[in-house]
Amino acid sequence: MQESAYFNEYSPINGVWDEMYGQNAEVREHYRKVIEYISKESADDLNKKEELAKRLFMSQGITFTVYNSGEGIEKIFPFDIIPRIITAPEWAFVEKGIKQRLTALNLFLKDVYNNQFIVKDGIVPIDIIYSCPHFLREMYKLQVPYDIYIHISGIDLIRDHDGTFYVLEDNLRTPSGVSYMLENREITKRLFPDLLPQCGVRSVTEYPTILYKNLLAISPRQISNPTIVLLSPGIYNSAYFEHTTLARLMGVELVEGRDLVVNNHKVYMKTTTGLQQVDVIYRRVDDDYLDPLVFNPGSMLGVAGIMGAYRKGNVAIVNAIGNGVADDKAVYTYVPDMIRYYLNEEPILKNVPTFQLGNADEREHVFKSMDTMVVKKTNGSGGYGMLMGHAATEQEIDEYKLEILKDPRNFIAQPTISLSAAPCYMQGSLQPRRIDLRPYALYGPDGIEIVPGGLTRVALKEGSLVVNSSQGGGSKDTWVLA
Amino acid sequence: MLSRVAASFYWLSRYIERSDGMLRMLKINYASSQDAVQEFTWEPVIRIYAGLDEEDEGHAPLDTDSRAVLKFMVTGKANANSVLNIITLARENARGVQEHITKDLWQCLNEYYHTIKDPKIEKALQREDPIGVLDILIKQVMLYYGTVEITMERGEGRSFMNIGKYLERAIQSVDLLDTKFGSIDDNPDLLTDTTYWKHLLLSLGGYELYLKTYREGFEAENVLEQVALNNDFPRSVIYSVNNIQRYFERLKNESNINDFRELSFRIGRLQSRIKYSSVKSIREEGLHTFLTQIRSELYGIANRLNEYYFAHS
Repeated sequence: MQESAYFNEYSPINGVWDEMYGQNAEVREHYRKVIEYISKESADDLNKKEELAKRLFMSQGITFTVYNSGEGIEKIFPFDIIPRIITAPEWAFVEKGIKQRLTALNLFLKDVYNNQFIVKDGIVPIDIIYSCPHFLREMYKLQVPYDIYIHISGIDLIRDHDGTFYVLEDNLRTPSGVSYMLENREITKRLFPDLLPQCGVRSVTEYPTILYKNLLAISPRQISNPTIVLLSPGIYNSAYFEHTTLARLMGVELVEGRDLVVNNHKVYMKTTTGLQQVDVIYRRVDDDYLDPLVFNPGSMLGVAGIMGAYRKGNVAIVNAIGNGVADDKAVYTYVPDMIRYYLNEEPILKNVPTFQLGNADEREHVFKSMDTMVVKKTNGSGGYGMLMGHAATEQEIDEYKLEILKDPRNFIAQPTISLSAAPCYMQGSLQPRRIDLRPYALYGPDGIEIVPGGLTRVALKEGSLVVNSSQGGGSKDTWVLA
Repeated sequence: MLSRVAASFYWLSRYIERSDGMLRMLKINYASSQDAVQEFTWEPVIRIYAGLDEEDEGHAPLDTDSRAVLKFMVTGKANANSVLNIITLARENARGVQEHITKDLWQCLNEYYHTIKDPKIEKALQREDPIGVLDILIKQVMLYYGTVEITMERGEGRSFMNIGKYLERAIQSVDLLDTKFGSIDDNPDLLTDTTYWKHLLLSLGGYELYLKTYREGFEAENVLEQVALNNDFPRSVIYSVNNIQRYFERLKNESNINDFRELSFRIGRLQSRIKYSSVKSIREEGLHTFLTQIRSELYGIANRLNEYYFAHS
């Protein structure tokens, strides 16, 4: 077949898995239709599509606000118009791997907050757990509905140079970005009319329905119409758009901490006709801010007494409190062992090799080869406080080493994994940029369901390996083929 | 409905109504400043809409400089009551209830906000025809009202919006009457100054109705009658209070019936107080006394709403 001009000008990065560009310098089968479609469009047309996408995001208020010198500036999360495509066999593998991993992680949380067999059997060392700031004693022996802790997760996956999937991190607390999975698809429908059905792309619209079904199922009161709310920190939160979108799509009330009050170990919301009991809270507020009586006493975002109501079983909270101990980056190293211990199975998805800097031997090894390592804080997120060894100066490395020595438990190191690349539309041509993948898994009484799709984040800066939105990352629509 | 959501609806609506009143007032005052032979003073407008008392020195140099006043009142960042700032507040309230208002309404408010934030507006207000600029903004408010009318569901939220809107309007009309008639005490010549009354009516959009109702030219007492007591004039005090009553009755609910009854009683009392007043009776008791009492009743209603419905104790 004849390849298009866009493709001919494309030069993949050496030694990196390219999602579109096959070994024999041709378009991989699953990208073919998309490349054919866009090759009929001039650069002008594609620029117009890019403009349209920006306008759609802006006019719908799909923005986050950056506060600068007292004035809010609204920005959109950059969107690349070329979709990222995952084949059916690839997806089946990912789906199976995530289900296995989540099952084990959920069992780990139940175990670690109850009998701690995994510690007693010597699989996970006790100091790793007790030194984790997100391990909450308040959760000890607290019974959660159906023993489900991780109702919603967004596990980040990356692909190495040979296309193997690795788990980069487990996000088990309040993973965000799912509204972009939904909105990006809506935008693609407008940008490339008829292309989705032609390619046989599976739909992602079921997400809010499944989530709502799961929330309904865990209501502690067995009544026909329990009150479900989404607890948001409020309009100044950068993910506020996502909170309103989900509330709207599920038809549940969006509340802030000040709308709720606890009386006699029951949670109520303040309405114009008096107090109304709340049964299920999908909270987008971090553990630390949830209850000023138990956690951060200065928090204005939470509800005083909510932890008591939770312990009594009068309200279900999603995700469970204290999940941070399972997605801690030091605990991450032990996830393959957990899978073997709890499930007696070999892990399907691989871990990125990880060095614990709390361990003197491993620290020494890492310090010797800092230029090939990525060093992260164990409880950090959003790409803050990371050191990319290959791009850092000697002075930066030395300063970072001092920082590590102050509290080595707080750091881990991983060899630099070269993320896979996918074509992005950049000023008239296709260029490879690094990507990751965050599928969203929903865990309910009926089991784990993963909507076929997810959020593909992309490092828009040439050569960059950091996909976080706070560090110049963008996103793509993610297609899973039937 | 969540108390916070109800409060947001109410404040969203109050802020928009206030911006509308302000813009119209500014437009007519600017036009009238072009007619003025002697120096034109903006002092009453600033007093009503910027919430500044006579003790406040801050605005003094502005009084007679039209362009500076417009900047202060429309796009002034330091003035908490500038149109820019109250639209920002309106939009923040709307943002907090985004899943309760229609997408159309949200986009409409977004556009109003982006229009007034546009640096071109501020520049044009200083260099070009200010009336044209104010008209652009007034059109945004009209779009808002149209969008509410066509797209918003007729539920509890809408009732709170309307209560907010008419409460704000009633307070504005009372303040305007009090200020305009108060100025006569200092300057009795105004009583017979036809342009003075004409501009007052124009700024409320009540000029045509006045001409149709009264044939004998501009009389202060006729103006008072129209702005306070005319049931058909959409900016009159009585019209606004009638509507507060009308939309409040829709909130009747068994679960908080006692609070409802008390507030309903207050609104009814205020309504009767105005309904059974005449220009003559007002003259006898003194206009300022009358208006002060109405204003304090309106504030009382607002405070009860806060307490009973918005859970701010």
